[in-house]
Amino acid sequence: MIALARFQMTGYMRSLRLLHPLIVVALIVALVLLQGPSGSEAGKLAVGTLGDVAAFMFPVWAWAARALLDTQPDEQRALSSTAVRRASVPAWAGLLAAYCVNLCLGVLALAVPLLQAFAAESPGRAILTGVALCPLVAVAGTLLGAWTSRAVLPDPGVSLLALLGGAVALLLLGMGRLSPLSVPMIGWIRSAHDGPGRFVSDFPAIALHLALWSLVVGAGYVLHHRTRH
Amino acid sequence: MRLESVAFRYHRNDPWVLRDVTLSLPPGQVFEVTGRNGAGKSTLLRLIAGLRKPRKGVVSDRPERVGYAPERFPVDQPFAVRAYLTHMAAIRKVSADAVDTWAERLGFGHLLDVRLPELSKGSAQKIGLAQALMDDPGLLILDEPFAGLDAATRDALPGLIGELASAGTTVVVSDHQRCIEALPGVDRLRVAEGTVRRLAPEDMAEPTKGDATAAMKGDEGDATVGMTGDANDAPWTVLEIVVREDEAETVKTKLRADGYQVRRPAQ
Repeated sequence: MIALARFQMTGYMRSLRLLHPLIVVALIVALVLLQGPSGSEAGKLAVGTLGDVAAFMFPVWAWAARALLDTQPDEQRALSSTAVRRASVPAWAGLLAAYCVNLCLGVLALAVPLLQAFAAESPGRAILTGVALCPLVAVAGTLLGAWTSRAVLPDPGVSLLALLGGAVALLLLGMGRLSPLSVPMIGWIRSAHDGPGRFVSDFPAIALHLALWSLVVGAGYVLHHRTRH
Repeated sequence: MRLESVAFRYHRNDPWVLRDVTLSLPPGQVFEVTGRNGAGKSTLLRLIAGLRKPRKGVVSDRPERVGYAPERFPVDQPFAVRAYLTHMAAIRKVSADAVDTWAERLGFGHLLDVRLPELSKGSAQKIGLAQALMDDPGLLILDEPFAGLDAATRDALPGLIGELASAGTTVVVSDHQRCIEALPGVDRLRVAEGTVRRLAPEDMAEPTKGDATAAMKGDEGDATVGMTGDANDAPWTVLEIVVREDEAETVKTKLRADGYQVRRPAQ
């Protein structure tokens, strides 16, 4: 599985598709995040920014995951499937490769807000919570991208609509009564902006929600992968 | 390995591509899959390889190590040949030395540093073969492996297939160009009208009329073959074609690929 994941990551990077999310992240960092918080509430604002980073990275992670999984031509996907000896390996390897790339993108997006949070003397536990939130949201973003990849939705137009529509639908769903079915994006943004103490105390519930959502959606993806082919 | 009452269609309301296919594919046997274009040969190969799941029926006892070379190797990948094959060797958990071994055997050592998108069709076909062969497969599936290959590799490949079969590999080859028919003990499977039929030895000596007629069906301009009425019942005729000496092999290969019989008179 590791070898196949490495092959997919190498292909993605060599194809230069990585540049697309990289440019988006660089633009957001340069245009938005570099203007750090100031004033008496700088520490609180810096913690709020950590929640914002996880929120705007969610669709970027989904987009990058979809692009990585779509880098392999269909016929190569068949060759990779026959090369591994277990049917579920390609699905896991693809998710692992996409998640690793997304973690790297997350590090780049978080670097400046983290430095600003340290400079503004935000509470250490709140900073750690912001750091812990990102890998959890990256799992959810990766899974949304995987569900919109070509192996699931062969039509590129439908796949792109599903990616955009999925991200918007999850955001809207999170605002209403059905919010337990969605990614708790509104929850963590609100909690991060309510102050460091609230962010830390709400984190276990948010993390559990994200983990359960990812478990269900991830299990569905692997099952779909196994039954379809 | 065995296929038991296997049926397959791509989508729920589509017509069946294959129905009620029951086949036994014992170790060490070579199977040549024939049939007209679109008959379902590649689908059958993918079912055997495990790349498709049958909608009905069961595929059992598939060997653990499967080598599959597709009809068109996917060259649209950002790797040089050596890097690609080294990755495939790692995925298959075989030593990277296998890359050089198979590069030498298939005669593409000089292409190891060439990028995949820059390969010719024949060279790409060799890379597809190498990645399928490097794991000493228990089941080897080759979809039109001879298309575009140079004469030396085309001549060497049947021997290689025979060698693998004698070591216990089940080999299934879709081969329009009739390059393995000379191999002793080849079983021929005919895919037609959604079914797969094992041809008896006497059937194997006959020209593949279905192939030829099907290839001609869609070509209204080709009147020289003199076909009338139902194409499948049309008589065969002899047509002389004069070509340049250096083009003879190419034309012969093309015509055979279209399902025609080609004989070259002694010079």
